This record gives sequence, structure tokens and C-alpha cells, in this order.
Amino acid sequence: MPSKPRIPTEPTLEELSAYLDHELDAGAQARVADHVAGCAECRTRLDGLRQTAYAIRALPMATPARAFTIPAQRRQASRWAPAGWIGGVAAALLIVIVGVNQLHVHGPGAASSTSALSGGPAGGANGHAAPATQYFAPDRGVGAASKAVYVNATTVVDPRDASRTLTVSTDARTYPSNGTLAVQVQVGGLASNETTVVRLLLERNGYAVELPTGSQGSGSAAGFQAGYALANLPLSSPVSGSYTLTAIEQLPGGSGATLVARLPITISG
Amino acid sequence: MDDRDLVGRARRGDREAFTQLIVQYQVPLYNMALRMVGGPDDAADIAQEAFLRAWEKIRTLRDAPFKSWLFQIAANLCYDHFRRVRRYGVMPDEDQTGNVVGLGIATPDPQERAEASERNQLVRESIEALEHDMRIAIILRDVNGLAYDEIARVLRVPLGTVKSRIARARAQVQERLQQHPDLFPTSSAQKDAHAE
Repeated sequence: MPSKPRIPTEPTLEELSAYLDHELDAGAQARVADHVAGCAECRTRLDGLRQTAYAIRALPMATPARAFTIPAQRRQASRWAPAGWIGGVAAALLIVIVGVNQLHVHGPGAASSTSALSGGPAGGANGHAAPATQYFAPDRGVGAASKAVYVNATTVVDPRDASRTLTVSTDARTYPSNGTLAVQVQVGGLASNETTVVRLLLERNGYAVELPTGSQGSGSAAGFQAGYALANLPLSSPVSGSYTLTAIEQLPGGSGATLVARLPITISG
Repeated sequence: MDDRDLVGRARRGDREAFTQLIVQYQVPLYNMALRMVGGPDDAADIAQEAFLRAWEKIRTLRDAPFKSWLFQIAANLCYDHFRRVRRYGVMPDEDQTGNVVGLGIATPDPQERAEASERNQLVRESIEALEHDMRIAIILRDVNGLAYDEIARVLRVPLGTVKSRIARARAQVQERLQQHPDLFPTSSAQKDAHAE
């Protein structure tokens, strides 16, 4: 009597999943492959696991809204607490970025939640090295960013309403690759009840790095200032070259109309 | 320059070398934390704290790979986070929409974009519905692309446990996704559609 072709033992869920990841030893990998080739049900199970893994892998990678830094001096042992819970205390413990990230400012009189900075883009005060990246408060007259002189600027005007403007400025045209890019963004023409969002991109040859911003504001003097340590940005190599700093403001009203201000800058070796 | 050189320099107190390690790992580490805890602010706090602890303790790092060690620190912080949330209550939901890298991916059709966004949201929710041990295993594998032995080192569990957690996690996520055949048609349904 002819013997029936031998079908390897049906793989377990763990084996199918590990098979997908090529994490079985050679013998088990071959056994599962043999079985799956002859078993429609297991092929379906495997396809389901594969689709699931692909769906997770397809999630876009998010960029953190702030850069991560280490303090100038090693800190003493301290118990960690998330900034979201006891913000000010945590900030003091971590001795890291002081400033504002993802600010939600509603109105010119809104109080800033930032601490006053001790160091500007060019370096820290009191003999301490400045953190690698600092985010400064919106331009409310606080923060050392306001001491920067913004010499490189461009302004775009809404062709339908000349009172609406977007200005982006930097404190230099050329930066060393380990320098700090100080940026000022000013939004003109907003009514007091209007809010806007400005995004900042540093781009070159179609590749861009989105810079975190304290970008929401309202009223006629909306805007923000920020400093970015270039060494901490995921720029492509070689880092030196010509870039465009692009500010994008979605105009209020939901029409989709957008102002785009582009400012060339150079990063030298 | 590979991790070992940078770690060696960082162990001697070279901040610049450690900063390069931060640059190298900040996005994967942040995304691991983000997929674990859900909120971008909490995830950023965890990533920041993980780097700080790594910097402080790097002299104690001997032969273990930096990557596994760093992810282990962050994983422990995620578990600390869950313990605090359980003790003090759930934090308000955070906006998940900002700062997504979409460079170089063209999605010209607004409807396609909307569907992709819906699919991603569903996948995120399905991951967040997993029990913590399974969640971190599948994140380390499918978000961070770690090998099973690396995951075992990060989680300090046997390889068999890693295998089992990833498999069960995938099965549970799959079950949830399949409740939305409009967004996640099964392969048999796709074949049927092609045959028509």
C-alpha cells in the first residue's frame, strides 16, 4: 500500500510567528516551511500574522518634539518624576532643557510657563556650558533668545490680505555644524481670537528635519524664538552645505491657505 | 563610528561621544516609549530620563551591548510609568498627531491619506490594548526591529518567553484588526477580490 506523503507536524502559533522573523533554528525553519507549503490553513494563519506585523511596522516613526540632552555635570542621584506631573520640580531635577515646548499660547497676555534662561544661543551664562538644545519662550520679552540679533530675515505677505504676514529670521547666515541656530518667527495680522500653527523645516535636497516649535499663538504679536543645536539634529551627511529654513503657517479660517517663508542658511564644516 | 568606540569614549567622560549615541538612538527609543505609554510628553520624559541614566551609569557598562542596555533602562521606566498611572490615575490623553516623519513618502490621494491615518490609529489602539509584557515585546520586535535575543536581554526573560509574547501579541492585534475588514481585509478576502 503506498504510504501517504508525510506532512510535518502542524506548527504552533509561536513557531509560525518566529518563522516569520527567521528566528527558528534551521531544522525548525525547514519543518515549518514544509508544512506551510502543504497546508492552506496554516498559510492563512501565517499570512494573518505577517499582515499584522507589517501593519505595525508601517506605523510612521515619530520625531520627538524636543531634543534629548545630558547635563553639563553629572547630577546627584535623584528620584525621577515626569515633568507632566510636577513640571517645575522635574525640570529642576533633570537640569535639562528649560524653556517651552509645544506651547499653547492663547492671547498676547498669556503667561509663559518657561523659566527664564540663563544662556543664549551662543553659550551659557555663569560659566556653565549651555545645554545642547534650548527651546526659548515665545517672544514675550523673556529668555536670552531675545538678546540675539536677527540679521537674516524674510517676510511673506498674504496676497489676499496684506495685513497677514509671516516672517522668519535667524541670527546668522552661516553656522558651524556644532553651532546653535537661533530662529525667530513672527506672525502678523492675526485677530485676537485667531490662532495659528507654524511649522519649521530645515531642508536640503528634498530631505527635511522638522524643528520643534512653540508655534501656536494669537493676536497681533504672535510668534516665537527658539534655538536648535545643529549637532543634535538628524541632518544627512555631510552636514555642511546649503539649506533652506522653511516656516509654514496654516492661515486661520480653515481654507487651507498657507504662507510659506523660505530662508537660505549655510552650515559650514 | 560604531557603538563600542562611542561607548568607550563616553565611559571616559566624553560628552560629545555620548551626544552622538543620543542622536543615533533618540528616534527609536522615543518611538518605543511612545508606543508603550501613548502620550508624546510622557514618552519624551522617558527617553530623556533613559539617556540621563545611561550617561550617569555608562561607566558600569562592561560587555553588554549599549543598545540593549539603553532599551532596558527605557523599558524599566515605562513600567515605572505604568505603576504610577495605576497608583495615581490615568493621565489625560495626549495629541498623537504631531511630529510624524513622513519624508519621502508620497500619498497623493487625500482619501488614501485619510485611510492610512485611520489604519494607523487602529493599529496604535490595538497595541495599547495589549497587556504590558506583550506590548513591549511586540514593540521591540516590530517597531524597533530588535532580534529575539536582543529582546530577551532587554526584558531579562528567556528566549522562549520572548517568542511566546510576540506570537500572542501578534495574534491579539490581528484579532482586533480583523474586526475592521474595510481597513484590514484578510488575505483570503483579497484573493477572492482579485479572482472576481
